[in-house]
Amino acid sequence: MSRIILVGSPNSGKSLLFNRLTGLSQKVANFPGITVDVGSGKLQEIPDTTLVDFPGTYSLQPISGEEEVAVEHFRRALDDADVTQVLCLIDATRMEKSLYFTLQVIRECERHGKQVVVLANMMDVLTRHKIEVDLAGLSHAIHAPIIPISARKGTGIDNLLKHLRHNIDNPKGGIDAGLAETPDELLRGNAHQLATRFGPRGDILIKSQARLDSFFLHSTLGGFAFFGIMYLLFQSIFTWSAPAMDAVETGLAALSDVIVPAISNQTASDFTADALFSGIGAFLVFVPQIFVLTFIIGLLEDSGYMARAALICHRPLKVFGLTGKSFIPMLSGVACAIPAIYAARSIDSPKKRLLTYMAIPLMPCSARLPVYTLLIAAFIPQTTALGGLVGLQGLAMFLIYFFGMACALLVTGLVSRNSPDQYNDLPFVLEMPPYRVPGLKPLLRNSWNRSKHFVTKAGKIIFAVTVVIWVLGYFPNHGADLSASWLGSIGHVVEPIFAPLGLDWRYGVAVLTSFLAREVFVGTLGTMFGIEGADENMVPLVEQIQASGLSVGSGLALLVFFAIALMCVSTMAILGKESRSNTLALKMFAAYGIAAYILAVGVYNLALLFGI
Amino acid sequence: MNTTVCSLWSLGAGQRCRIESYDKALAENYRVRMMELGFHPGEVVTCLQAPALSAPKVYRVSNTMFSLDDEVASHIRVSLLGTDAT
Ligand SMILES: Nc1nc2c(ncn2[C@@H]2O[C@H](COP(=O)(O)OP(=O)(O)O)[C@@H](O)[C@H]2O)c(=O)[nH]1
Repeated sequence: MSRIILVGSPNSGKSLLFNRLTGLSQKVANFPGITVDVGSGKLQEIPDTTLVDFPGTYSLQPISGEEEVAVEHFRRALDDADVTQVLCLIDATRMEKSLYFTLQVIRECERHGKQVVVLANMMDVLTRHKIEVDLAGLSHAIHAPIIPISARKGTGIDNLLKHLRHNIDNPKGGIDAGLAETPDELLRGNAHQLATRFGPRGDILIKSQARLDSFFLHSTLGGFAFFGIMYLLFQSIFTWSAPAMDAVETGLAALSDVIVPAISNQTASDFTADALFSGIGAFLVFVPQIFVLTFIIGLLEDSGYMARAALICHRPLKVFGLTGKSFIPMLSGVACAIPAIYAARSIDSPKKRLLTYMAIPLMPCSARLPVYTLLIAAFIPQTTALGGLVGLQGLAMFLIYFFGMACALLVTGLVSRNSPDQYNDLPFVLEMPPYRVPGLKPLLRNSWNRSKHFVTKAGKIIFAVTVVIWVLGYFPNHGADLSASWLGSIGHVVEPIFAPLGLDWRYGVAVLTSFLAREVFVGTLGTMFGIEGADENMVPLVEQIQASGLSVGSGLALLVFFAIALMCVSTMAILGKESRSNTLALKMFAAYGIAAYILAVGVYNLALLFGI
Repeated sequence: MNTTVCSLWSLGAGQRCRIESYDKALAENYRVRMMELGFHPGEVVTCLQAPALSAPKVYRVSNTMFSLDDEVASHIRVSLLGTDAT
């Protein structure tokens, strides 16, 4: 099986070309984060040949640990006898940013005796604006064939395939020692000269972009646009995904109603109803949200607005050790941490990506909402202050949301100041991609892929945790009484841990099960108090909790605990996968768990002190 | 012609300049990366946007736009060439 490598600088159209040639639907990585898998796919038109995609990069001279890994990977691939040719993709409308990299690639290929084909992409844009570039001249100057293509329109692809087939039949001959030994310094100078000589002339392409930027980056109008777009983002998450989430819930319930009665064995039927449908259901309802959010983030990315949003948010976030690129991931975290963690892929600085990972689980995600609603309804009086202007419950909800976000920024601020890790950091240098009308199909496919990735990768772990929790809660008395189950016994064992918060073992059990997903806390507590369907209608449960004589201090302690603790197995699973470090996920779980506990104990004691 | 040497960061929207040199204070690897992106000494750079509240500015070098923060832009010495009509 022969292999062809695809390289190119970020935003040059690598994903589109890769998918066109392989028939797959991947979003290729734009930065050489070690988190990112090297994708590969069989070429549709050439048998026995795979196309291997390498992360987009501006140069083969690494300036961060991650770039080093990526470059090392590339060099190793060149040593591989199966690798026959390298495709180097450049954006013909903005050649200068890719030419130096192209020259480096040509040199490396010369050293390793591999064939190289340079692809000048986005030719449709040049044609549309009637701009000519002398590709023949450039090809001659760089000693490599250049094929004009449009990955979007599909033009030039046949020619490319013809060329690849020809190269397969005619392996590379001798090595040009002069070309193979050119030092980087010289290549940089050459690239500069070549771009000036052969690059597209005129600034038609820039002018229209600059006009849009004058609006979107305008001090006042740009600010309005920014808030408008973020508002729409939020609206659409809820208006688009809420019906789908309901549909998943209703669908699962209907399916459960059909399947469960058909199972004669009592244990098997209980398992199907409670572990499979309810447990796994609690995780599947988040899939629509992940899909919609991924779609919207993709829309922002491909339209070019993402880079502008990053610019607008950079200064305030920098104070907390983050970058403007952390903004969208963190904002997504207010809906759900999973797509937020995926979105952090676009942060090129490894250090800032890590900090963003630390911030995301503290953002007040939507699974916390039912927990907050329950606790606030139970413990915060329905009174108003300031002559009816401020509702105490509303204020409490606002404060606990704000508390999560403030904690996120506090953590990143503290950690960044105490880890002066220069090598894994990168300065804020952001290419402003042109504004474009996004293609919907790739975005939908990408959202589908992410959702699938989530279900398959997190699914196994979630299933395992669900089964364990179900078994513990079901046996030995076959689900007759949760309080007499193994889980109940564990609750009694861990009761001393929760006693400093003024909580009894029932809350302990609910907290333990909420590791599956935070909102499970409500359902479990309902079961403990003997109330069916507490997650649908909280009122009876609220009354029960109030009647149980739990103090306001304990309620506040629980609120604070849930704001900070990383009680979400899905987040941990995806965090482990994306950061390629399960240790990171475990460390964060432990750190946030301990911090949450200490703060909760503090809050409880403070409340006692003030006699609340 | 009256040339003023200042830092790239000090440019306002619409101002054009030529890159003179890099400050020693900018780490070597960042300097190399900037040159790889096209910010060579001698190159003409235009500041396209200088948003409020000292947000990163948008610069044009040949046909590409980059947004830079003062972390980098304040270490690039430039001579002013004038102001673009656009
Ligand atoms: N007009 C035009 N747009 C393209 C072409 N190739 C890619 N694009 C667009 O350029 C943007 C970046 O493409 P993508 O494949 O994501 O680039 P990558 O960052 O290199 O993977 C997307 O909005 C594409 O739709 C092309 O040949 N012509």
